Amino acid sequence: MQPVLRATDISKSFGAVRALEKARLTVQRGEIHALLGANGCGKSTLCKIIAGTVGCDAGEVLIDGAPAALGSPRLAEEQGVALFYQELSLVPQLSVGDNVFLGREPRNALGFTDRAAIFRETEALIARVATVAGAGLTPDALVADLSPDQRQLTEILKVLARKPKIIIFDEATATLDRRQVEVFFDILRELRAGGVSSIFISHRMDEVFAIADRITVMRNGQTVAEFSAAETDRYAVVYAMVGETGAIAASVRDHAPLKGDARLVVEGVKAARLGPVSFTAQRGEILGLGGLQGQGQKALLSGLFGAEPFAAGRVTLDGVDVTARRPAEAIAHRIAYVSGDRGRDSALPGRSIFENTAIASLVRERRHVIPGALFRTRFAEVLSGLNTRYAGLDAPIGSLSGGNQQKVFISRWLSPSPGLLLLDDPTKGIDLGAKGDFYLLARKLADEGATVIIYSSEDSELLSLCDRVLVLNGGTVTADLTGERLTPFELTRASYGDAA
Amino acid sequence: MNRFVEIAKNPLVISGAAILALLIIGELVSPGFARGDQVVRLLTVSAILGIAAAGQNLVILGGREGIDLSIGAVISLGAVIAGNVMSGSDAAIPLAFAAACCAGFLIGVVNGLGVTYLRIPPLVMTLGMMGVIQGGLVVLSRGVPSGNAAPALMAFVNRSAFLGIPGILFVWAALVVLMALMLKRTRFGWSIYAVGSNENAAVLTGLPARRIRVLLYGLAGLCGGFTGVCVIGYTGNSFISVGDQYVLPSIIAVVIGGTSLAGGSGSYTGTALGAIALVLLQSVLTTLNLEFWGRQVIFGVTLLLLMLLYGRQARLRV
Repeated sequence: MQPVLRATDISKSFGAVRALEKARLTVQRGEIHALLGANGCGKSTLCKIIAGTVGCDAGEVLIDGAPAALGSPRLAEEQGVALFYQELSLVPQLSVGDNVFLGREPRNALGFTDRAAIFRETEALIARVATVAGAGLTPDALVADLSPDQRQLTEILKVLARKPKIIIFDEATATLDRRQVEVFFDILRELRAGGVSSIFISHRMDEVFAIADRITVMRNGQTVAEFSAAETDRYAVVYAMVGETGAIAASVRDHAPLKGDARLVVEGVKAARLGPVSFTAQRGEILGLGGLQGQGQKALLSGLFGAEPFAAGRVTLDGVDVTARRPAEAIAHRIAYVSGDRGRDSALPGRSIFENTAIASLVRERRHVIPGALFRTRFAEVLSGLNTRYAGLDAPIGSLSGGNQQKVFISRWLSPSPGLLLLDDPTKGIDLGAKGDFYLLARKLADEGATVIIYSSEDSELLSLCDRVLVLNGGTVTADLTGERLTPFELTRASYGDAA
Repeated sequence: MNRFVEIAKNPLVISGAAILALLIIGELVSPGFARGDQVVRLLTVSAILGIAAAGQNLVILGGREGIDLSIGAVISLGAVIAGNVMSGSDAAIPLAFAAACCAGFLIGVVNGLGVTYLRIPPLVMTLGMMGVIQGGLVVLSRGVPSGNAAPALMAFVNRSAFLGIPGILFVWAALVVLMALMLKRTRFGWSIYAVGSNENAAVLTGLPARRIRVLLYGLAGLCGGFTGVCVIGYTGNSFISVGDQYVLPSIIAVVIGGTSLAGGSGSYTGTALGAIALVLLQSVLTTLNLEFWGRQVIFGVTLLLLMLLYGRQARLRV
């Protein structure tokens, strides 16, 4: 039987980064196809190429045997490929029907919107998902009045109205609770019965095995394995995601567990998409937060810092309650935070390097008058200690490269050195040299007695830097990896919620 | 060459050059324009505008589209309060200053609370406040001018205190030094720049951004109240719309002085020079005997040119 989608030899580079290298994907008519891989393996890029939102450098996509026009979302849609957006595209003030046909309203003979046709066609679409629709989902109901389940369903109706052959669901279940996931799976099965194929990207292994017919695994931009879900097991899939070398090679670092008392105690903290989470950490420990992106790692860090306070729970450091409602409270307890999103969270654009560095010390030391000479000497020393390359303390912060900027932002917290250092994907977008300096600094601070908690979107960073890694999935800690268990294999396996 | 361009683009240099050019033009058009006592007279007018612009400067530096349109109404309120408190008595001058500044500060704090905690855009909040104060003044005074300045206050603004220079100019000079020290050398000053430059980053370094912003609006109101007392000292008595003419010029002086309307960069020294340049421009245009509409056109075009010039400066963004 001819597959509905066959993508072969797809290659794509973003600048110097090779995102895809001869990747392939084959999807049969009326199947649910799971696409898996670690962070940054290229699965999202591949989906975007198929949906036409990103062009590709080389390769071919066949839809029903006919070559697809690549690089145009509009043409991809006409050929029957639809990309499902999660909670992005609904207008709450419009009706279900208006949302479903937004931008593609049927016209009547006079050129006006044909409201009767919208009503009729939306009603037919709702009838297709009648088993899960629930009361109140009618073509003229306002989206604002719908339940979250029904909004999810409306998003899907919007996709269905285009009569697609293939629907790509990129992390569609990431924000859903268990019952909503069930509803979503019912819809997928309805679609399958109707001959529509789904490409399903998920971060939860049990979901994949609950719904998928076939599984394609990607690693480092390449397609490395294709499975039939019924004929494989989780171990084989994770093994494919990590690769042979990763599964066998032990990490370079000595991951012997530290022997000491817990000085940081986090008890049952909760936030919007987090928790409850409890864990402890020691003096001198570099604790990693792992897992796939968006599983609550950032919420945990900004909660600890008081930037987005926890709704419940308690945090103590050396026996003192440090549960923070504001960053200022955390700072008073020698807690420091460095974000990877420098433009949003760290930079004071248009201000000098000196101001960007010294501002936090004024708060920490409760100074009201700036000790110019003292601070200049101090921060010049701190910055050169970090191998920062800069023209002078009075040069604007924007004159520095990303890596050097990040050194300025971390130097805010170095004198006096912090007791607890929170790092939120701190090396995002900075060069290798600066990354190396950063790792050395984190290790030095830990050796001097600080506790460091780091979230990284790169698994290799966690594996080479951390003494221990907590893996988060869906807002809860699903694994606590130390010593011999701190391997790429275990990390990937736990990331997909497949705890041993 | 680059160094030269850099210096030439400095707002302080531009404002200074504009002041010099306007003095020369004025002297050419009408000999005696740049005479000592005339200059002192112009500086006195600039001082009143400059004190009001100090408040405007602070809220604009604080960013988030910070602006205080109610400053004119607060000046009027300050003048009316001061006039009624003094009623021509020298002994009541300190009380007049205190009452006007307190009233201004309280109104400013209300502006600040509305802007930060109720998230009302500053333009709308302060415009609304302007209406409330103006309406309140009509009710209070029943539209009749009331109160008058004490003689010592009028002397403070209009007569020589030392070497032919009136007291208000010494006060203004002190304010320029004070503002420069505060902005450059204190945590509060740095906090203003930080909050105006990137509020989120400022909060993440532990700064209480909301409290700072409320305080900035409070200080703007305080400056307005203080200016009101100076205005009644300048004119002798008060009427309820006396402050209206300061709203736009206070903003323009800040812009001429090189403070970014986006917040986070600029200085009060620039604003002070901007106030002087603006008063000189108005004065030159008056001396040229231009019709009202002609003055408005030249005024407007000059401003647009200045904004264009500053707008073309390379913005250093991360």
